[in-house]
Amino acid sequence: MASTTSTPITEVIPIGDPPIVIETRGLKKTYFGKIDVPVLFGLDIEIRAREFLAIVGQSGSGKSTLLNILGALDVPTAGTVLVNGVDISTLDEDGLARLRSDEVGFIFQAHYLLDEFTCLENALMPITIRHGEASDEDRERVLKLLERVGLGDQINKHPDEMSGGQNQRCAIVRALANQPKIVLADEPTGNLDSRSGAEVFEMMREMNRLSGVAFVMITHDDRLAQAADRILLIEDGNIVEITNDEHKKKVDRLTPVKELA
Amino acid sequence: MKPFGDIVISALIPKAYRFEFRLAMRHLLSGGLQTILTISAVATGVIIVVFITSLIFGLQNMMSVLLTESIPHVTVQVEDPKPKPIEDPNNPTSSRIEVSASRLKFIDNWDEVVTMLRGLPNVSDVAAVVSGQGFASKGANPIGVTVVGADPELLDVITPITRDLVSGRYKSLSSDEIVIDTELAKDLNVTVGERIRLTSSSNQADSFTVAGIYNRGQGRGSAYVTLRNAQSLFGLGTSVNIVYLKVHDIYAVDDLSNSIMALTKYEARPWTRDYSRNLTNMQMMGISAYLISAFSLIASAFAIASVLIVSVLQKSAQIGILKSMGARQSQISTVFVFQGLGVAIIGSSVGAVVGTAIAYLLSLPTRPAVAGQEPLALFPVKIIPLYIGLAMLAAIITTVIAAVLPARRAAKLNPVDVMR
Repeated sequence: MASTTSTPITEVIPIGDPPIVIETRGLKKTYFGKIDVPVLFGLDIEIRAREFLAIVGQSGSGKSTLLNILGALDVPTAGTVLVNGVDISTLDEDGLARLRSDEVGFIFQAHYLLDEFTCLENALMPITIRHGEASDEDRERVLKLLERVGLGDQINKHPDEMSGGQNQRCAIVRALANQPKIVLADEPTGNLDSRSGAEVFEMMREMNRLSGVAFVMITHDDRLAQAADRILLIEDGNIVEITNDEHKKKVDRLTPVKELA
Repeated sequence: MKPFGDIVISALIPKAYRFEFRLAMRHLLSGGLQTILTISAVATGVIIVVFITSLIFGLQNMMSVLLTESIPHVTVQVEDPKPKPIEDPNNPTSSRIEVSASRLKFIDNWDEVVTMLRGLPNVSDVAAVVSGQGFASKGANPIGVTVVGADPELLDVITPITRDLVSGRYKSLSSDEIVIDTELAKDLNVTVGERIRLTSSSNQADSFTVAGIYNRGQGRGSAYVTLRNAQSLFGLGTSVNIVYLKVHDIYAVDDLSNSIMALTKYEARPWTRDYSRNLTNMQMMGISAYLISAFSLIASAFAIASVLIVSVLQKSAQIGILKSMGARQSQISTVFVFQGLGVAIIGSSVGAVVGTAIAYLLSLPTRPAVAGQEPLALFPVKIIPLYIGLAMLAAIITTVIAAVLPARRAAKLNPVDVMR
């Protein structure tokens, strides 16, 4: 994807079935050690452009493992992962790096902004990594995104000069900087208070609506999960797709989730 | 508008490396004390190298000057006959093998030989000389002495005499004058202006007025007369028996001697043959300088490698997030190599400046001047810009090599492991 292609910040109007961005077939993951720990048992998932997907499940159920595999940070024990139609098992180290740069954006529980750089420089980081330097067009586009998430007056501040919520909003813009097909967010509100968490979630939802980028968010917060288009529940290493209404009913028996929420 | 730093980076660094360069520089800037300590390690290594090489090569230079400034660097003369082997080793007629008795031997066409020698590379000065043994006397007690006759102007360049004069003069020596050393003057009990008698090994004798007395502090020295006087004393007519050479590079005399022997029928004897032990000592000093330099740089390299390994550990989460954003392994390792390079360039520059300053300060005269002599420095330091440049280059290469190991380690970090 060329970095100089700018995306206007206007709401995407879906026409027909959105294309599949990520697809998994028979995805399995086992951690090998003194005792082998199977985590995922043959998952088949389809994630389409423009959708906002929430992944819920108990701690240790394999949510983060799934997200890391979808983002080509980890490799499955068996099965296939297609990102934008490309089987990632066919890619070498540089190919995987390029895929992470062009197709995927990450948001983590911790913002992981680089302390040595300002908010704007952090947001531009994926472009800088990919192209050595951000073009004027890239800077303009990222600046607009920062303004959109309310950081227009914070661009020259370093992470330690901003609040947790502000840093996480900067991390959202960073995840979108290279105009990826999908953003993978691993408990992005987990380190924030409920108000900041809600703000950050709203920002993600807004970006999803405006840019059409698919979002996959792991969360322990039932309210946030219910605001997603679709919810995947990981139970005993298998996936159970549920509607928001069904999720509401299931919440009662997901005791740990309820506790965390 | 782009920040000034970005404009500078855009102008100096190829686009493909700007991310790596920018991150490495930010690591250094934000490193604080850690960066200062790392730079200090490199600087200390270079300071030691610059100071030690300046000191040891200064000492070496001083020793070689002291050793060679008063002697000819190459002596050209007719070769002494070699000892003849015993014809029948099973039936020796003598238990000793002796060289033939020493006699003065002429150098044919010495004018041509001198002209040819002046044209050889590395030769700076040439003097035709008559040298032989004789006796100096005043009254009844003759004292053995080496008599040297040459053009005073030419010989004074090759074996300085005027510089060591205690009284009188050497240059513009006239035909009945002689310059002797203090030992001989003391033994003969003469001073400048008094006359002494010189008898050569050819049994020719003449009287001379002492025009100058010198002291080299090296025991009994030669007695200097004009070339014509020496030729008369030793019955050489208009010939000479020795040609002295002074050269520019005193360590390249072996090659020059071989060339002379190939071009003439005479023996060319370099100074290194008579002073081989001194030469070995000076070479050992040079080797010591190189060894100390190498160990200093290796020690600073270990310090840098360990600091960078700690830096990689500290930055492991950052490495993970960079990889999640698409940074390639080669980019991550380049960041840490650039970091090492930055430390190396800054450290070696600081080290070169401080090391040179220290060497310069120690080369300033500190001891009070003795009457008639130049004031002495505390250390005979010789600052060689080439060696300073080489020390910087060696420090940079060593530091970058030291950075490669932690850089490779950083590149191979698994983002899932470091961000867990």
